[in-house]
Amino acid sequence: MESLVISKENFPELINTIIKSYRLFAPTEEKGFSGFNIIKDYLEMDLSYLNSRMPPKAILFNQTETLFLMEPGAKGSIKSKAISNEKSAIFAIRPCDAKGFRIIDPVFLGDVIDPLYKANRDNSVLIGLSCNQPDSSCFCTSFGDSPASGKYVDILFTDIEENYLVEVMTEKGKNFVNNFGRFFTPAPPKEIEAKNAKEKEAIKLIKRNLKVEGIEEKMDKMFNHPIWEEYAKKCIGCGTCTYLCPTCHCFDVVDESTLDKGARVRTWDACMFPEYTMHTSGHNPRPARMHRLRNRFYHKYSYFPKNSDVIACTGCGRCIRYCPVNIDIIELMNRVSEMEL
Amino acid sequence: MEDFEPNIIGFLCNWCSYAGSDLAGTSRIQYAPNVKVIRVMCSGRVNPMFVVNALQQGADGVLIGGCHPGDCHYQHGNFLARRRISVMKKLLEFMGINPERLKMTWVSAAEGRKFADVVNEVTEEIRKLGPNTKIRRKNEW
Amino acid sequence: MVDQKELVKVAKETLARKDVKYIIGYKKGSYGFQTSAAFAYTPKDVEEFIFTPLCNKNLAKYPLKEEKLPLKRGEEEDKRKIGLIVKGCDSRAISQVIQENGMKREEVVLIGIPCPGVIDQKVIEKRFPNQSEITEVTEIDDDYVFTIDGKEQKIPKQELLAEVCKTCEYPNPVLYDIIIGEEVEVNPKAEYEGIKELEDAPLENRWEYWEEQFQRCIRCYACREACPLCYCSTCMADLLEPQWIRRSVNISENTAWNIMRAFHLAGRCISCGACENACPMDIPLMELNKKLGKEVKEMFDYAPGLDIEAKPLLGSFNPDDPEEFIK
Repeated sequence: MESLVISKENFPELINTIIKSYRLFAPTEEKGFSGFNIIKDYLEMDLSYLNSRMPPKAILFNQTETLFLMEPGAKGSIKSKAISNEKSAIFAIRPCDAKGFRIIDPVFLGDVIDPLYKANRDNSVLIGLSCNQPDSSCFCTSFGDSPASGKYVDILFTDIEENYLVEVMTEKGKNFVNNFGRFFTPAPPKEIEAKNAKEKEAIKLIKRNLKVEGIEEKMDKMFNHPIWEEYAKKCIGCGTCTYLCPTCHCFDVVDESTLDKGARVRTWDACMFPEYTMHTSGHNPRPARMHRLRNRFYHKYSYFPKNSDVIACTGCGRCIRYCPVNIDIIELMNRVSEMEL
Repeated sequence: MEDFEPNIIGFLCNWCSYAGSDLAGTSRIQYAPNVKVIRVMCSGRVNPMFVVNALQQGADGVLIGGCHPGDCHYQHGNFLARRRISVMKKLLEFMGINPERLKMTWVSAAEGRKFADVVNEVTEEIRKLGPNTKIRRKNEW
Repeated sequence: MVDQKELVKVAKETLARKDVKYIIGYKKGSYGFQTSAAFAYTPKDVEEFIFTPLCNKNLAKYPLKEEKLPLKRGEEEDKRKIGLIVKGCDSRAISQVIQENGMKREEVVLIGIPCPGVIDQKVIEKRFPNQSEITEVTEIDDDYVFTIDGKEQKIPKQELLAEVCKTCEYPNPVLYDIIIGEEVEVNPKAEYEGIKELEDAPLENRWEYWEEQFQRCIRCYACREACPLCYCSTCMADLLEPQWIRRSVNISENTAWNIMRAFHLAGRCISCGACENACPMDIPLMELNKKLGKEVKEMFDYAPGLDIEAKPLLGSFNPDDPEEFIK
């Protein structure tokens, strides 16, 4: 790992130089609404944001993705879709959202490799930006992470007043930085200290904590506990929590066609919808909202850690912030943690 | 825009408008070939989402034909259709989709002439509006 | 504002009735300015009930969301009533559903609360984004008063009031069994001011506006699930055979979905604003609903959710309905 600095004066030029050779995704703001978009100029970028409304998973794992194209009839054919190898950089991704990619990697790059996701992942450099102002729903510290963690990104930027501290975390990050070497100078120790101070300050702002210790074993014994029913009662069964989650990765595959052509398309799906588990026969193994809600929490805190050794939650807080009926994963999971069985 | 031939979907009720269009044909009246007819049992059968779907799938306009008020084979299907379509027109207008792309007509089984006239008129009006691009499916994957 | 003690007392009395299963009300939320729906089965649960300006969720959805799983052998259906705390808009929602035969009047016991308006969740959370402690808000005269980090905040009501409440015509429940508190005065402000600017804009600008809005839609269907009048057992949008709208998320399908949703609420939307509150992408759905509400009022002199005996707008007709658009 290598620590560098770049002054804020030179920063706009760096961004504009990156744009020349990379497709640069960066947060932009419109009407109080932050999102990752491809930018063409430094000025479009807005770094005052807390976090984007949609997680950047949508960049590498598109909500709608074409798998292959087809033509009907006797001369019908199937044509695979060309995989783009355009180089991208995602700038100012938050550490929590970057962790989201680390969590969904074993799904798409595990036993079976998804070529689309792999190409997107390989071709993009994740450039993180430490979070100096976490809000009331943030809880990344509960998982031993920090709002200024560089564990899951290639390069991490941290805003330290006049400069950005740039920590190069991976080989990919190193190659990227080398391309733009003239902008960076080695970091003096005082700048590294400044970052550490910022990090401590940010951690202090995170007031809510989810008690993860022993939760997996606890949940093994709680499958039939009435708490799930209690929360499911107020759940309205929309897909907000799953679609805004940086780690939710379920999808549906459908065929779409016109008279003379068509395609097989992959779209996001949400386990909170009854159709998600509906069988062709009409039987639904998760018939009630209680089953669906329970599955969502079990998947994140029990099944996923069993399979991939990591809790499928990063503490970004989106599901808490945007749930229309105040189903609060911290409150629920803490109750599970504290429950005496 | 002169070369533009509008693609219009016509939902015609079985008992009046469809019979009217049939009469226009058997009477050998010449009229614009732009309306592609889908026979429905009643104009009240036309779910306003048919209109949206037609526009999505490439129609430039939609014509709905029913019986004259009071003549509905099912007593009042055309009255119900009238309400629905008038509300749909307002919604399309508010969304910025030209409501003139959605037309409705009363044509009886005896009005072959009127049917031909309406089709000609509607075709010309939609030709003036140009192709619909707003909610059309791109069908590019 | 309603006295909490009286609310609890009435709720307890209602819960004590033999023919009531449980009561749905509001309780404190888990953080900040949230409130949550509360399902009270015992008198102890009822103690948690509150009614504050933060009670901005529409509880009328919940009786409709009740899931009836197949009965086990020998099991009998629980036919007791559900108690429900209703504000003006919630009561209109219930009344509209009853009118459409979506539920029966005798399935619910309604505890009405005249509502002086509720706070827009999104607005207050934007103003105080770091408030994680549970905060209680009280209404004093024309201000909302609450404490943040030990400092008292006094904010004029109009700044935080939900848009739908500013123009609410029916703050007092229209349908109830018991009513608590005094009737509130009806706000005389014109209901359709908010959409006027958009209405007057040229067609192309309107499309640009909506295109930008619908582009954002992620089709999570939170608008549908939060709406007390979207209670079809299977929504058209979920059907695969026939498939009305494709699963792909793009401007064409998103617009079709939003037309579908708005159209199905024509003459039914009771302006509670639940859809817009629920939308994670901040699409101004109420503008569509308001517009249709306005047109329906002008064309057919019809307002939904006022009379359980009335006929639904699109299921009825008048021979003299306007028809100048028909050739």
